[in-house]
Amino acid sequence: MVKLEFEHRQAGHCENGVTSNLLNYHKFKISEPMVFGIGAGLFFSYLPFLKMQHAPTTSFRVWPGMVFDRTTKMLGIKTRVHRFREPRESMTKLNEVLEQGYPVGLQVGTYHLPFFPPEYRMHYNMHNLVIYGHDNGTYFVSDTLMERLVEISYDDLMRVRYAKGVFAPQGRMYYPIHVPDNIDIKPAIIKGIRKTAYNMVGIPFPLIGAKGIRYLAGRMRVWEKNLGPDRAAYYLGQVLRMEEEVGTAGAGFRYIYGAFLEEASRVLQQDWLREMSVEMGENANQWRAFSYYGSRNCKKRGKPEQSYDFLADMLLDCADREEKIFKKLAKIK
Amino acid sequence: MMDENSNPVYTDQRYGQSRELLYSYEKDGNYEKTVGFHNEADRITIQQAWDHFNERIAIAREKVLAGKASPIVYFMEKNLVDTLTLSMLAGISLWRVKWHFKPGVFKRLKEKTLQKYADAFNITIEELKKVE
Repeated sequence: MVKLEFEHRQAGHCENGVTSNLLNYHKFKISEPMVFGIGAGLFFSYLPFLKMQHAPTTSFRVWPGMVFDRTTKMLGIKTRVHRFREPRESMTKLNEVLEQGYPVGLQVGTYHLPFFPPEYRMHYNMHNLVIYGHDNGTYFVSDTLMERLVEISYDDLMRVRYAKGVFAPQGRMYYPIHVPDNIDIKPAIIKGIRKTAYNMVGIPFPLIGAKGIRYLAGRMRVWEKNLGPDRAAYYLGQVLRMEEEVGTAGAGFRYIYGAFLEEASRVLQQDWLREMSVEMGENANQWRAFSYYGSRNCKKRGKPEQSYDFLADMLLDCADREEKIFKKLAKIK
Repeated sequence: MMDENSNPVYTDQRYGQSRELLYSYEKDGNYEKTVGFHNEADRITIQQAWDHFNERIAIAREKVLAGKASPIVYFMEKNLVDTLTLSMLAGISLWRVKWHFKPGVFKRLKEKTLQKYADAFNITIEELKKVE
């Protein structure tokens, strides 16, 4: 039996929360937005050829695992990451690491997670949680989506760790093993902002970043004509679900990123970042308004309430704002 | 614009059971964290996804009962997966999975293949064969 003294703090997004809580356990205080900013988690991509739940994939963040990897790398924290082919072996390794006194982050699928809210129980393999102890086949779980600590049985845990499908977790487990004493957080913040700015405005590919938002806006205008009202509404709903529901803490991570910029301006003592955070907040509110008006089209009705042109114009506005913000942020010193 | 305070009680058992941490931005330039339920707009989109799934399940069920599709189609929809994910779950190639959607082909399937599907759906072969 092992039960570590793990402090559970609820978070807006699973991977940020897990990273922040794990580092907190190793006596390194770091907030959730800080992790998200340093790990350069903000992103946008629209992939019409990759269907998820029968609709094109829209992503507001980088691939799973990247936030943890980047954050720890930039801060110079030593970590271990394992993947396994054999499920039982992965469980033995998990027990071993827990007994050494390290809480462990796991990537899991959500469909068979017993404590997960039923409304989210779809096939989604990129959820993260922390195991901080085990006792006779029961594992103690800190899931940042939940308000309280929960438990899971050996079989259930093995099952969710080996969920199959797109982005299968394959028993991925990760944990920091050594945190240096005096970490200078400032260069990491600057690098993180540069990386995000590059991702949002620097990549010369039409489906990514601010260009991707514009591309999505363009496609949105023809959805109703090409797909009919029902499927157009479903496609729109998919964008909104990715933006608001799957643990984004609202407006597709734009709120968290704004909070990060605000914190960064205090740490770096650069006042212009504060102005950027205000602009980011207004941008996030614009995204929120987009999801508010957009959701009216998702109700079961014959005719959509808001025209898709109106929504596409809102998106173009968001794209312009983000382009402006990240072009300025790219110049950070 | 957005009415943050509107938070009607949801009667559907599936919704509003868990409270989440949400960030928001106020006019004065401060970010706030609140633990609460999602608002009306977000619930509509989640409801839409479940309506969509339920509709697909109902259509698949009718098709199977009418003898136009094999029970695999019904169980695939019931488990909320698409063809690609099903092929990964069962460990059968995509075009074979699609081939098995034909009722005639399904009837001739070997025990071994049926077992693969049954395991993927977490049911027995007998349950796989009949759709009520």
